Amino acid sequence: MKLRDIIDACGLEPVLVPDAEAEVSSAYTSDLLSDVVAHCTEKSVLITVQNHKNTVAVCTLVGAPAILIAHRREIPADMQEAAAREGVALLHTSDSQFAASCKVGSVLGIDPR
Amino acid sequence: MSAPAPSSVLLEPKSIAGSGVGNDPLVLLELIQRLKVRDVMTTELATVPRSAPLCDVQELMRRKKISGVPVEEDGRFFGLVSIDDIIRALGGGYINDPCSKHMTTKLVVLEDDMPISFALRYFNRYHYGRFPVLNRDRRLVGIICQRDINRVLLVELSKELNRLEMASGKSLDQDGVSELYLMREFTVCKYDFENAGKAANEIKRLLQDRQLPPKLIRRIAVAAYELEINLCVHSDGGMLSCQIAKGKAEVVARDAGPGIEDVEWACRDGTSTANEWIRSLGFGAGMGLVNVKRVADEFEVKSKKGSGTTVRAAFTVTGAA
Amino acid sequence: MECGCRSKSDNNFVGVLPCFRKEIFLMTMAEVAEALKAEVLVEGEGYKKDVRHVVASDLMSDVLLLDEEDMLLLTSLAGDQVLRTAQIVGAAGVIVVNGKPLPSSMVYVADTLRMTLATCRLSKYEACIAVNAALHSKK
Repeated sequence: MKLRDIIDACGLEPVLVPDAEAEVSSAYTSDLLSDVVAHCTEKSVLITVQNHKNTVAVCTLVGAPAILIAHRREIPADMQEAAAREGVALLHTSDSQFAASCKVGSVLGIDPR
Repeated sequence: MSAPAPSSVLLEPKSIAGSGVGNDPLVLLELIQRLKVRDVMTTELATVPRSAPLCDVQELMRRKKISGVPVEEDGRFFGLVSIDDIIRALGGGYINDPCSKHMTTKLVVLEDDMPISFALRYFNRYHYGRFPVLNRDRRLVGIICQRDINRVLLVELSKELNRLEMASGKSLDQDGVSELYLMREFTVCKYDFENAGKAANEIKRLLQDRQLPPKLIRRIAVAAYELEINLCVHSDGGMLSCQIAKGKAEVVARDAGPGIEDVEWACRDGTSTANEWIRSLGFGAGMGLVNVKRVADEFEVKSKKGSGTTVRAAFTVTGAA
Repeated sequence: MECGCRSKSDNNFVGVLPCFRKEIFLMTMAEVAEALKAEVLVEGEGYKKDVRHVVASDLMSDVLLLDEEDMLLLTSLAGDQVLRTAQIVGAAGVIVVNGKPLPSSMVYVADTLRMTLATCRLSKYEACIAVNAALHSKK
């Protein structure tokens, strides 16, 4: 699925989208960067409240094309700069991590086993 | 208020281990939560190595007048020889066998930093006369029996009663209880993440015992927790206290340093001096003081760079029981 | 249960998402644990209580900012602080995701605080979806 489709279907607020055609196949919800490094698969949207430039670095590392910041937590300038540099999309939602996960999940249609 | 006879209480540990809704004196409830197994247990242990014959163990029991001997080598705990094991050995004619062959190895053990309320529950649940006590590294550090608990409780109870009477400035028989509901002070150590939050957990439980309104309890507990974590993360260690008197609850965190340079900045959203390690524990998002301010009716920070910080959060208590 | 969509400003979920309706759903901790195939380590006070809110967070400072009662805390953080925080906010229970091995102290702390504690193998993302699906299949 294209990133654009998820943004539209979930009503997410694009803050910075370098490539709306980026392929997205899953999502990962976590606020622990070490956890993201260990478990997040590539082509995932990272759902988090970690509004920090290190989050961008971690996404680059695991090949996640987008970060969805929950609770519309403010995105600092240095995080936006890092995202622009690395080509990682930044999205906003006022939902909690739980609600955002459920929405993204229903669009991606992943069966939770 | 008369000191309750602990022995009668110990016969019914269920009433203690419960949520404290009965008529158990609160002082006692607080004590059995605060006192840890290590404060009560016997540390001078008579132990034997695995190779010791059972007849030696029998002799040791007779000499020391004890009914159970732990089998231990260099702090490593292998099992326990009880008087039952000895009786069986005498009957079965194997009293000269090494104890490792017949000792009890399926054992329930306690850890030294458990509260004694927990130990009491175990005595009630398992009907053993004693429990070996291990520390976090699983080394044998003591042994505990109900008698140990009785002894220490009696001493602590009389101390506690003295303190309460002094604190209220008059005899509790009179109007003292409504004047001073509760006064508790906890030491919080720097970077002691293992224990950070314990004081707030205990404060919440005490408030629940006093049957204050749940929403108020939660606000006080949140303030206490945030302040405790702050002490642990940012200060060189300090004291957290909770006091309820005259329709007002007060949580105060006091430390001796290093002080906050810009108090106004520290009280703002999302400002933080926490490092990555603290963040990895789920803290340090810079919301601590903001959150205390949010839940409290009165909020005050006094600090100076290089000296200590005092944070005071006060709450109006209504509808207290 | 308001499907976790408590954000005051934005409750207008888009139409393609049939799973978000503003109905009251209730599930107990025990039912949630079963739906997640979670291993329950401590059955605390809130085990048979209805969960009214789901919080999926690893930041305890965030959890302390919430005002909800009887929340289920889904977290990938495995430590005593999770339970201490949960007790302070009066949570119904804690489920640690990702099948993380828990430090041995956690069971003891949960038991002392009478807080329900479980672990499940799903990731937090999968666990959120599974809880939501279970809520809606329950009716």
